[in-house]
Amino acid sequence: MATVVTAPAPVPPARPAPGDQRRRSGRRGPRYLAAVRGTPAIIQAMIAGIVILSLAWGGLGAWAVATHSSAATSLAYGNEPYSRDAQRMYLAVADADVTITTSFLAQAQPVPPGQPPSSSLAARQRLTADLASASQDLADLMSGGGSTQLTQAAAAFDADLAAYQGYVATAETEYAQDVIPAGDSEMEVASEEAHLGLLPEAKLIYNLQIAAVGTSRDQATSLPTIVIAIVIGLAALVMLVWAQRWMARRTHRVLNLGLVIATAALVISIGWLAVTFGVASSDLSTAIGQGANPAEALAQASIDVQQIRGDSILNVIARSGSPSLQTDSTAQAKNVGPGPGSLLGSASAAGNGSVTADLGPAITAAPAWYKANGQGYTLGSQHQYSAEMNSVTGTPVSSEYGQVTGSISGALDAAQQTFTSQADDASSAFGPLEAVVIIAALVMVVASAWGLARRLAEYR
Amino acid sequence: MGLTGIGLVAAFGTMASAASGAAAAPPAASPSGTISEAGSSLLLPLMQKWATAYHQQFPGVTVNTAGGGSSEGISDAADGSRDVGASDAYLSSGDVLVHPGLLNIPLAVSAQSVIFDLPNLQGTNIKLSATVLAEMYSGQITMWNDPQIKALNGGVPLPAIGVVPLHRVEGSGDTFIFTSYLSTQDPAWNTAAGYGTLVNWPSIPAAQAVTGSSGMIAGCEKTVGCVGYNGVSYLSQEQAGGLGEAALQNGGGRYLIPSPATIQAELDKFIAITPPNETIAMIAGPGGYGYPIINYEYAIVKMVQPSAATAEQIRDFLQWLISSQAATSLVTSVGFQPLPSDVQQLSRAQIEEIR
Repeated sequence: MATVVTAPAPVPPARPAPGDQRRRSGRRGPRYLAAVRGTPAIIQAMIAGIVILSLAWGGLGAWAVATHSSAATSLAYGNEPYSRDAQRMYLAVADADVTITTSFLAQAQPVPPGQPPSSSLAARQRLTADLASASQDLADLMSGGGSTQLTQAAAAFDADLAAYQGYVATAETEYAQDVIPAGDSEMEVASEEAHLGLLPEAKLIYNLQIAAVGTSRDQATSLPTIVIAIVIGLAALVMLVWAQRWMARRTHRVLNLGLVIATAALVISIGWLAVTFGVASSDLSTAIGQGANPAEALAQASIDVQQIRGDSILNVIARSGSPSLQTDSTAQAKNVGPGPGSLLGSASAAGNGSVTADLGPAITAAPAWYKANGQGYTLGSQHQYSAEMNSVTGTPVSSEYGQVTGSISGALDAAQQTFTSQADDASSAFGPLEAVVIIAALVMVVASAWGLARRLAEYR
Repeated sequence: MGLTGIGLVAAFGTMASAASGAAAAPPAASPSGTISEAGSSLLLPLMQKWATAYHQQFPGVTVNTAGGGSSEGISDAADGSRDVGASDAYLSSGDVLVHPGLLNIPLAVSAQSVIFDLPNLQGTNIKLSATVLAEMYSGQITMWNDPQIKALNGGVPLPAIGVVPLHRVEGSGDTFIFTSYLSTQDPAWNTAAGYGTLVNWPSIPAAQAVTGSSGMIAGCEKTVGCVGYNGVSYLSQEQAGGLGEAALQNGGGRYLIPSPATIQAELDKFIAITPPNETIAMIAGPGGYGYPIINYEYAIVKMVQPSAATAEQIRDFLQWLISSQAATSLVTSVGFQPLPSDVQQLSRAQIEEIR
């Protein structure tokens, strides 16, 4: 450890060395010092410079840390959970529509001799639970506030949800009275409300939340503010080192305690910030790459799967002979995958072992499910409506559909767990860093001012 | 549509106010232009009368009408080749999802009659149920003097003539509502054929396929023993051709023919549950004294038109159709019924969406 030598008595100013003339002329030192006459003036300038840089480091460093920490926290505990609420809301509505439509279709069929009539009780209970879940998700989502666009979409969703429930209730009444065509037409209206109103609104809300996740993600991982803060910190370090060397040459003191303390505080805080940011970035990178990205792909896949299922059910009701629903279904199936570039493909290749393992059944079952759906459409195009209904709502198709959705749901949970865990680590990594940077800056100001003031006092 | 008048927008602005009243007053200035319409052959007779009356009231406007069937009406409106499509069937979900900007707007209430050609029985309303009709179309009842038909028509001298079921070959709203009736009452039919604008008609030797409502009449007129379905707007033509009209069993077990009273009685069951987009099947409602096969006759229109002037011209025409005394008085002349006021309001609201 270096020995600090303090001066028992003021030392007269040394006569300027020949080299000092050159420094004053600005050839080796900072140019502004050329205008500063005499050592006291130079020390005063040093105090001002170091204080300014210390305060800049403290302010900008703390701000950068606060920004990144806040963004990481928002990502982990705000936007991402809200996007999950939005996704659950979408799936709840889609599930409600498919469940109740399938049930009513089954009820509209003649009951085989000796069989009890089909009951819609379980389906109605599931519908009620789904819609209650959607309402709760909407309330949770809106508890975090939101943009005007989000508020408007939420209000529209709320209104359409009430309308949808009204149509379903009317359809149920018509079916109960054996007025099957009217019940079918009301279910068609309800499903159209779901497809043209509720689901697009839920999708808009989901997209808005995904955009907010993206913004938080960018803020949490962006470099500029951290880089600027570190550059200023390094500038302060250069200034402190130069000041100590200059003082050593001018005053023949090996060390200035104040400047040493300031330098130590700066080095510690810069190092802490750099390491923390590196750790947080790594955690966030894992959270995003192996958590958020596959979760987003799987959330979209689960939405598209519901769309595919909804299209096939709606085609049974519509009996229009139009290929439009099949066309939409085929496009959605291509998007879902499996296969390179598809949602399932990209989620499976995200590097998250749990996600890949959980997706296995979906990747196996999806092609068979698509094929079975295609057979349903073929029957519909041949006007074999009863056979189409049996195909679409029958056990094999429902079973494959269940495998696909169950597998995607499991993989989605795994991806979200990865995200939550890693994002939580990233958020926690910042810990007391903001306070550390501020305290370090204050220590730098006080210590450097104290140390240089002591030298300055020797000239009075 | 071709617009030839200058100041058409201003002229129709005045006309819109007039058309929304009970009796449409002539506009301050005469508008001009052409409105094209195609689709439902069931609606065609009424649409032709409306076109003539509209032209008489507004000489500058010509409404060109054409049949072609409901499917063509929907596709023509969707692709913009016609300003207004006409359909007996509401838009299917497939149509709605592919063309979310299409509206189906009821203009009147129609009914469908079941017709037959039996010598000496033209003036008798032979009673038929959906089950019996389904079995006639399935080939299980092949003779008019079948015991099941006799059981429904005690005392009627049913002849030993073979049943010749006629059906439409093209996508048809008439087929949609007729097969809906059969499906509602007959589970076996619902399983085997079901309902739709196109269905897999059972393959039986006697069956004949015809095209359009006029084809149905012509086919039945030349085929003794035929049974077919057609809109009530063709009733006078059918009667003139010597065809009979059946009394159909409704949801309450009563046998009724389409009349203003029985159509209204059936309609009353569905007014309150007609949704804002007016998509509803009104087949065999529960109980009562209603005729079991009624439907709204729909105008199929794009919500977004190529120009504001076009939109206004279509809005004014449609408002005139459902609201003006001149138009509604023609509705009953073809056996249809005007829209009840609650449904009129829904139609007006939809018409106002046309931009």
